Amino acid sequence: MEQFGDLFTRSASHLEVLLQGAGVTVMITLGSFVMAVTIGLVLAVARTWKIRPLNALIAIYVEVFRGLPTLTLLFICYFGLTYVGIKLNPLPAAIIGLGLSGGAYCTEIFRSGISALHHGQREAAAAIGMTPMRAMRFVILPQALRITLPPLGNYAIGLIKDTAVASAVAAPEILFRARNLSTETFDTALIYLLVAVLYLVMTFPLARWVDHLEKKRKAWQ
Amino acid sequence: MMEYLDQFAAFLSVYPAKLPQWEGVLIRAIKTTLIVTAGSFAVALVIGVLLALARLSKNALLRGIARFYIEIARGVPALVILFLLYFGLPPLGIVMDAVPTAILGLGLSTGGYVAEIIRAGIEATHKGQREAGLTIGMSSWQINRYIILPQAARISLPSLMNTLITVLKDSSLASLITAPELMLRAKAISSTDFLPMHILLLVGAIYLCLAIPLSQLSRLLERRMFSKLGNRM
Repeated sequence: MEQFGDLFTRSASHLEVLLQGAGVTVMITLGSFVMAVTIGLVLAVARTWKIRPLNALIAIYVEVFRGLPTLTLLFICYFGLTYVGIKLNPLPAAIIGLGLSGGAYCTEIFRSGISALHHGQREAAAAIGMTPMRAMRFVILPQALRITLPPLGNYAIGLIKDTAVASAVAAPEILFRARNLSTETFDTALIYLLVAVLYLVMTFPLARWVDHLEKKRKAWQ
Repeated sequence: MMEYLDQFAAFLSVYPAKLPQWEGVLIRAIKTTLIVTAGSFAVALVIGVLLALARLSKNALLRGIARFYIEIARGVPALVILFLLYFGLPPLGIVMDAVPTAILGLGLSTGGYVAEIIRAGIEATHKGQREAGLTIGMSSWQINRYIILPQAARISLPSLMNTLITVLKDSSLASLITAPELMLRAKAISSTDFLPMHILLLVGAIYLCLAIPLSQLSRLLERRMFSKLGNRM
């Protein structure tokens, strides 16, 4: 019984530190999510203009940033950019690195959402005199965004997990605090178990929401 | 404009001087990266098939265990699992080297994804196939082995290829538990030679050279499968 009481107080004191890291994890997640979705939307819409050189550039961006490990990208942002005189702090470096790689994924997500719509929609919009811009804004995107919600949700789950990599560039998020805490207290097994639980608490609601969306869509079809 | 070109030329001129020195280390590191990738993908495949069968079994306990495992494997970062195995187990008396730990950890974590892919593949095979197997007197193991899994494997192949690419990229996490793969060597070289951008871009290019053929292959498989199975499904 005494052991369990001890375990409880240890967990409580670890959690106090880890939760401060959770705030940073949420910040990195939100920051890079906004950046990735913005890049993705802009590039996916730009692709529909069918300008050859532009499309080639977008394809290269997507292929390169999806093929690079997140860790490599973060190191380039944090250590590599010092070569050209840019010194980023860990937090912006993590947000930019994760945002750039996420942008490539989001471009693909939005592209498939837009191309899933029947081309008749675009033609109908043109027939009633809408400009391509207005057709995109009022006809295509509202429908495409609904289709892309489940994959975007999955991307967000992956992103929360990927923020753990930011610990390698010393961003003070959950895992970074856990590493410091475990060198101070040597209570490694318990600390990393708590970390796993914290990530589960953050990803679980999102995963349930995505499941719900997918079930709804299956019932619809 | 000329000024930038000069700077770019200066940037590139470092490579011919440094490459012979880096070559041996990097080639050994690529081997380790490939070993970690192949090893953890193999572990993930075994776990994935077992979990997928468990999730679809009639036994409620097996189904529950599989669901629980998949939920955790997909909700916890691979890096946390690596740290848990590498730093968390030794105090409990279990000590493993970095490379086996990386293979086990990445395999355990990826197994959850593979299970969902294979389950979707199994569910995509028509129910009548299982019934047909039963009517000719096959056991349920034989049905899985000879009828369902070969088809499910083909259906899941493109998704599995994508998972393999993810595993390749995730193998870079092994550097954080000191497995001597590409990223660890990149970090070591960048701190000894003070050329972080050069070595990181080089290593990035190596990852791309490994990943892009795989992603092209996955796209090819996907296209071929849709044209072949399109009328059958």
